[in-house]
This record gives sequence, structure tokens and C-alpha cells, in this order.
Amino acid sequence: MFAASRSGLDQVAEPSRVWIRLLPALMVVVPVFVVAVALALAQSLGLLPLVGDSRLSLDAYRNLFSGGELWRSLAFTSYLSLGSTALALGLGVVIALAFRHLFSGSRFGAFMLQLNLPVPHLVGALAMVLLLGQSGLLARVAGSVGLIDGPAAFPALIFDPGGLAIIAEYVWKEVPFFALIALAALGSVADDFEGVAATLGAGRWRRFRHVTLPLLAPVLLPAAVVVFAFTFGTFEVPLLLGGSFPEAMPVLAYRKFTNIDLAARPEALAIGIVMLAIITLAALIYLRLGRRFAGRQ
Amino acid sequence: MLVAVACSPISGDGDAADPADWDGVVSNSRGQQLNLFMWGGSSEINRFVDNVYGPRLEAEFGIHLNRIPVADTVDAVNKVLSEIQAGRRRGGAVDLIWINGENFQTLRQADALLADWSRRLPNARFVDWDAPEVGLDFGLPVAGFESPLGSAQFQFVYDSARFGPEELPRSYAGLLQWVEMHPGRFTYPAPPDFHGNRFIKQAFYELTGGFERWLGGFDSAGYAESSPALWDYLQELEPHLWRKGTSYPPSLAELNRLFANGEIDFTFTQLPAGIEADVAAGILPATSRPFVFDTGTIGDSHYLAIPANAAHPEAAMVMANLVLEPELQAAKLAPANGWGDGLGISLSLLDDDSRRRIEAVLDDLGELALEPALLESVRLPEVAAEYTVALERDWQQYVRR
Amino acid sequence: MIPRAVKTDSPGFGHRHSERRRRRSTAALAGVVLTLLILPLGVLALFSVTRAYFYPQLAPDDWNLRAWRLLLHPGSEVWGAMATTVFVGLAVVAVALVLAVPAGRALGRHSFRAKRLVEFLLLAPLLAPPLVVAMGLDFAFLRLQLTNRLWGVVLVHLVPTVPYAVLVMSGVFANYDQASEDQARTLGAGRLDAFRYVTLPAIAPGLVVAGVLVLIVSWSQYILTLLIGGGQVVTLPILLFATSSGGDTALTSALALITIAPVLALLLLTSRHVSRMPAAQIGLP
Repeated sequence: MFAASRSGLDQVAEPSRVWIRLLPALMVVVPVFVVAVALALAQSLGLLPLVGDSRLSLDAYRNLFSGGELWRSLAFTSYLSLGSTALALGLGVVIALAFRHLFSGSRFGAFMLQLNLPVPHLVGALAMVLLLGQSGLLARVAGSVGLIDGPAAFPALIFDPGGLAIIAEYVWKEVPFFALIALAALGSVADDFEGVAATLGAGRWRRFRHVTLPLLAPVLLPAAVVVFAFTFGTFEVPLLLGGSFPEAMPVLAYRKFTNIDLAARPEALAIGIVMLAIITLAALIYLRLGRRFAGRQ
Repeated sequence: MLVAVACSPISGDGDAADPADWDGVVSNSRGQQLNLFMWGGSSEINRFVDNVYGPRLEAEFGIHLNRIPVADTVDAVNKVLSEIQAGRRRGGAVDLIWINGENFQTLRQADALLADWSRRLPNARFVDWDAPEVGLDFGLPVAGFESPLGSAQFQFVYDSARFGPEELPRSYAGLLQWVEMHPGRFTYPAPPDFHGNRFIKQAFYELTGGFERWLGGFDSAGYAESSPALWDYLQELEPHLWRKGTSYPPSLAELNRLFANGEIDFTFTQLPAGIEADVAAGILPATSRPFVFDTGTIGDSHYLAIPANAAHPEAAMVMANLVLEPELQAAKLAPANGWGDGLGISLSLLDDDSRRRIEAVLDDLGELALEPALLESVRLPEVAAEYTVALERDWQQYVRR
Repeated sequence: MIPRAVKTDSPGFGHRHSERRRRRSTAALAGVVLTLLILPLGVLALFSVTRAYFYPQLAPDDWNLRAWRLLLHPGSEVWGAMATTVFVGLAVVAVALVLAVPAGRALGRHSFRAKRLVEFLLLAPLLAPPLVVAMGLDFAFLRLQLTNRLWGVVLVHLVPTVPYAVLVMSGVFANYDQASEDQARTLGAGRLDAFRYVTLPAIAPGLVVAGVLVLIVSWSQYILTLLIGGGQVVTLPILLFATSSGGDTALTSALALITIAPVLALLLLTSRHVSRMPAAQIGLP
């Protein structure tokens, strides 16, 4: 994911100097992050409890996996993340393809796509309630033109088991992210390649399949992993927009973490570890795929 | 008192904070920053605390009130518990919590509250400690561990533009008939929301032959035998609820929003002096009116408690004492000041001036509040907090699934 | 099929015609996208200037500035929260940049053993849910009695922000021309002088972008701040969440807008730099 040096790597790379430069960042980020994960793991295994004795056990995991709650929550969260990542990715690519000519040369397109960059998901979720709720602004518009005869007739998008407003919020926030990345990757290079392909008589779909897509895939895949991980772990959005059942994993974890019964904490941390495991799995799949792409090019 | 003596808590700064030496407490509290953790969802209540208590504490006692808004009181309780469990026996972050019920019980059981202080505050003389609705918090003796701030009583709210009073249900039995006639027009917040808990606990009373059975300690056999009637009732209710019960609103705020937008026909309130503040803020429509069931609604008190590891227990005591001043209790009661909270002190223990001042506020309550006498006549007590915990847990199992 | 718009020297009339039509339809699409992007903010703005704005009102019956007046009142708690958010944000930006400049230089310019491992270590926190990080650290912070919670919050905000800063700076250094710095050194400039007078001006636009990104990420944190700050570090998102639990829609909407206003303004001010950066580095999920 790091940009490779265009002007070539420095000839003389004194190893000690490189490490001196890396050390400050590593010394801050790694311990905090590693300690966080290690403590989460330890507490999920019954160590360092806030109440009772420290005893290594898999009880928290056993309890979680034997009940249906975790599985349903896992399925729901995966559905939300995969669904919104795929939707945002598709829409982002479409927008990038449409925008690259319109804004070629000007930075307005990129600027426009950055407008919701500073909007926290918390704010996005609050806005979705007012926009998509059964008595929200869309419902009022529908009501005023006679499409519905009351809030109940408007589709249930918030607090619904389908989590549609959650997906809407994620898509709203992530489409510009994908579009920006795709726009950058397309750049002017795509024009040239596609031009050549067109001259050679390649049709639209073939040009997209064999020229545009290979240009986009290597940058969009890691972006998709980042978005998947992010949407999988976001707490505020499913908390504010999700129904009472099923609960997204971060909401379930938080509810157990703040349970008045401190003995429920290991389960909260265990859910956190399961979340980390799934995100790691996604990253590993990406690395495999990435190698396949690299091999093909 | 026995309880207070039996459990000597982990003391933060024991000798400095003895309310018997009130002058000592006041002088020690000078210059302290008071971290008050309280639910921060009502801008009216927040403003009342900031604008009424804050300046008084600052001007008269040199105490800086730092109100810390929490989305749920349980966050503050958790904080105290984890601090103490992590070995932080003094200098804790929480000086004072606005609290009652199962949160109080949890902190009591963990021995995490400062003991034997509230009844010795100078203004404790205005409090009727022997009245069960004050001296017992969800059946658990307050016993010096917390000091009352005010009182509340559950009420339903309807929209007088949609219904006449004669069309309203007046019991849980009546509510079932009502929802059958008005499908999709009623719901309640999902427990563990406070109001959702209270709604199902009142149903539990009515459907099991009244609250009297459940006074005293937790009767687990009786609960196991009787509670199925409640789950049958709630399951019978469910298909007629908003969204056929596939989802429940997570909080009272959401219930209010559904009600105000006409998605449902009732919401709830806890304020004995009525919903004027919510109407003024535009949270509820101006035509909203409170009502109660003939079979009764639960009333109780809410309190201020000091964690055993509080960094500034003296400042906390000064504030707990200040809020009992009759003049400030009257101000808190008047909905025009933004709150409309019930009294934490007893009228019969006040001098004539103070009593008249409060009675004037009560006489002045308009149609957005119920008659104090009516509320009093249907008031039901709270029972042991174990019932709340059991009902909350079983609701998850029998209703939410 | 409409021929693709290739830059040709002498486009025919028909070509120009279809080109115009295509341009018009993409412009329409751009309009739709822009509208959808700012629609949620528009909804917040609308609700923030109303009172008792209930279904089925489309145009509010009661246009009302009550929420704004309450929030912008001199005694309002907004100001304290704003100050806290700014303080945390600036501290995080400062530390993150100090860490990211050398690290970005090492990663952008050098190839060395274990580079992939270092990349992984520095990027992994990007993928970890803040909730899990916060739940894990809660215990450590309690044990360590990090009494000054404000610094604790600054410390944990570094976890999700430093990776972005390193990412941007390594991109900057990858395109950085080492020659002038070497020249300055040859001409006798000290290491510090060379950095100050040659390197710094060259990477300044990149620093601005990294700083803006880090500030935005720090500004948006809720759960890390809530758990590690123990409720006492009241930033704007914390205040916003507590306010939203009261159900006062106008007040919540206005506070949501106040929360994003400073960062939105900052983005507009720096858009010149931000838009010029390779776009792959300026997205935030």
C-alpha cells in the first residue's frame, strides 16, 4: 500500500539510520496497539478479570458460540459489511468512470468527493434517522405527494432487521472513498490504454474487462479490505440505526462490556477477538488475491 | 443504620468528610472541582443544573461544578466499579452520581458507596426518611448511602388532538383490548431502558395480583411461578404493536419521536409536574396530555450518591445538601424552569413560607400535568431490584426473540 | 454505439454533438451525486432551525433558532467541548507528524530488510475496530491510573491516526527529490539546517494534507474517547451523543453541524493542497 519511490530508492541506505527514523512511530503505535490486543485476548480468556480470580479458560468463547446470539450477530454484521462494501465499490467505480472526463484536468471532481470526508459516522447516522425514518423527510415528501397515507406505509429502513439505513449510511460515506481512489488510478493512463484498445477494435465491455478493470483492481481491493474492516467494527452506526434484533457485533460487545454484571466482560472481549480474527482473515484473503494480481501483470 | 455499620466501605478520605462537622466539610470543599456524573440527554435538565446549582456552588462555596454527561447512568456505575476493581481506592473520577434502583443496588453490593453521610446533612431534616418511597430505593434501604434529589412517577402521554380521555385504556387488560383495536399504534422502549423496565414491571404487578406480594426480598420461587403470565401477556400484545413487535425503540427519546410524529399514540413520562418542558422544547406536540392507569403506576425517588473512592466527597456533600434547600426544590418542581421534577423533601417538614412557595407551584400546574392528588392515589411502590434484573433478562429471552 | 471521446485533432461535427450530449449527461450525474452527498447535511440544517417539526409537516410550521441560540450562548457547554476537541486534535496532529515524517521517509525512500513487517505493524491499527482497542486498553489505563485522562485520549488517538500520517508522508517522500538536500549538505549546511530550509519547504504541502487527515480522524472519534476518557474528556462527539439521547431533534441537528463545521472549514481552506495530493492517499473510510 505504500507508494514506491518514483525517483528510485536511495542508493545508500544506511540500515541504522532507517531504523532510527522508523523507531519513534513504531515505539508509539506498536506498544499501544499490541498491548490493546494482548489485553483484549487475555481478558477474553478469563485473565486479569475485574471480579473474581484470574483463571485461564475458554468459558467466554464456549458460552458465546454455544448460544445462537453470536452466530446471528456475526451473520448480520457480515451481511452489513459485505453488502455496503460491495455496493459502495460498484457505485464508486461507476462514478469515477463517469467523472474522469467531466473533471479531467480540474480538481473540482476530487474536491466534491471530499465534501463528506470530515463528517463523522455518528453525524451521518443521526442525519439518516431524520432522512430515512418512517416519519423522516423522505416519508414526508412521499406523504405530501400522496404516495403514502401515513408513516406506517413508508418502508421501515431504520430499526429494521434488514439494517437498510445502516447500509445506506455506510454507502453514503464510502462511495466517495472508492470513487476518489478509482479516479486516481484511472488518471490519464487509462485513456491511453483504452484508446489503443479501441483502435484495435475492442468493444466497450472488453475494454473495461481487459484494460480498465486490471488498472483498478490493485488499488480498489485494498481499499475494499479497509472499508470492510471499518464497517465491520463501527459501533455508532448500528447502535443508532439498528433494530433491537439482531444486534451488530460491536453493539453486542459494547452491551456486554458495559453490563452491570462485570462477569460479562470476558464475553465482550471475546466478541472483540472474534471481530479481529474476521478482519485478519479478510486481510489475508486480500494478500492472497493481491499476489495473484501481481503475478498476472 | 445497621447496614451502614455492618459494611464499612473503602473510604476515600474518611476523616475529612464527616457531615457532623459541617463547617469542616464546607471549608474543605472550597476550591474543589466536583465531578457530577449524570444522564445528559435532557438539555433542559442540563441547563437547570448548570445555571441553578452551578452558580450557587461557585458563589457560596467556591466549588466548581463539572457536570459530566453520560448517555446512560450505567456508564458511571461501571466506571466506579472498574476503578475500584483495578485497585483505585482513592482519587476516583466520580464524585457524585445521579442514581437509583438497580444501579444503586450494584454499587451497594460492591461496597462502592460512601456510607453514613446523607442523613447527617443539615438539610436532611426536610426529608421524610421513614416514608417508604424515600427511605427505600427499589426495596433497598437508603440508609445513609444516598440523599434524595427528587421524585418521579410513571405516566402515559396521549395526544388530545387524536383521542378523548374516555377512549384511553386504564389498565394493562384495557391496553390489550386497545391495541387490538388500534394495531401498530403502540410500543414501549426495549428493556434495559429504564422506561421499558418500568412499563413491564407495572404489567407484572397487575397480572400477578398486585405489588403487595412482591414487597420484601426477592421471592425467586414466586417469580418463577407467576412471571409466565407476564410473558404470555406481552407475547399476546406483540403482534399488535408498532412494526408487529419485530423491533422496539431503544429509548424514551425514540418513543417520544415516534409519538410526536404520529407513528404511535402513546409515550411515557416520569415527571410529576408534567410535560411542559418537553412541549416547550418542541419534543412533544402542544396537545399532549399525561394520563395514568386506574390500576396504578410506579412512583419512586432518585438520589445522589458518593462513590467510596470519590476524590472530592466534601464538595459532593455540599451539593447533595444544597439541592435539598426548599427554595431550590421549588425551582426544580416548576416546569417553567425546564425540569418539573417531583419533590425530594416533605412538605410537612417545612416552615410555612417554604411550604406556601411550593404549594403555589403545585397549584399553578396546568393541563400538561396531572393533579398531585390523583398521582398520589394511584402510586405504586418499587420492589427489590432483583425483580428488575430478572424481568430484564427474561424479556430478552421470551419477548425479543 | 457512441464513439469514445478520444482527443483527436479534428473532431467531426457529429462527434462534437455526441460529445456535448455525453458531457451534459455526466454533468447531470455529477449534480445528482453532489446533491446526494450533501443531502444529509442539508437535512440536519433544516431540522436545526425548527421547533416541533413533526410528520406530516414538509415546510416547518415553526421556523425557530432556539437550538442555535441555546448552543451558541456564551455559557453553553459547546465551547468547553470545542476547546477539548481542538486541544486533543492539535496534540494528536503534532505528535503524529513528528512520528510520521521520519517513518515516512524511511518507508518512502529506502528498501530494507523487514520492510514488509514494518509496513504491516504500522498499518494494522488501521484495520482494528476502535471499540476493541478501547475495550482492551480500558484495563491498562485503569491500572496505570492515567490520572490525566486528556493525555490518555491523545495517546489512543494516535493508534488510528499515525498510520494515515505515515501513509501520506511515505508517498510524499517517494516523490521527493533528494538531490537538493544533498546539495545543501555538500555546500556545508548542517543536518538541521538542511531539513529546515530544504526538506521542510519541499514536504510542506504533504504535511498539511497529513495534518488535515489526522485532525479529521481524531475529531471523529467517539468510542475511543468515551472509554479511555472515562466520560470526563468531553469532546464534541461525546457531547453530541449524550445530547442525541435526549431526543431533542433540533438541538441534536444543530450540534451535529457545529461538530463538523470547524473541520469542514479547514478542509475548504486547505482544499488546494488536499486535492492536489494523489487521491489514493486522501480517502478515509
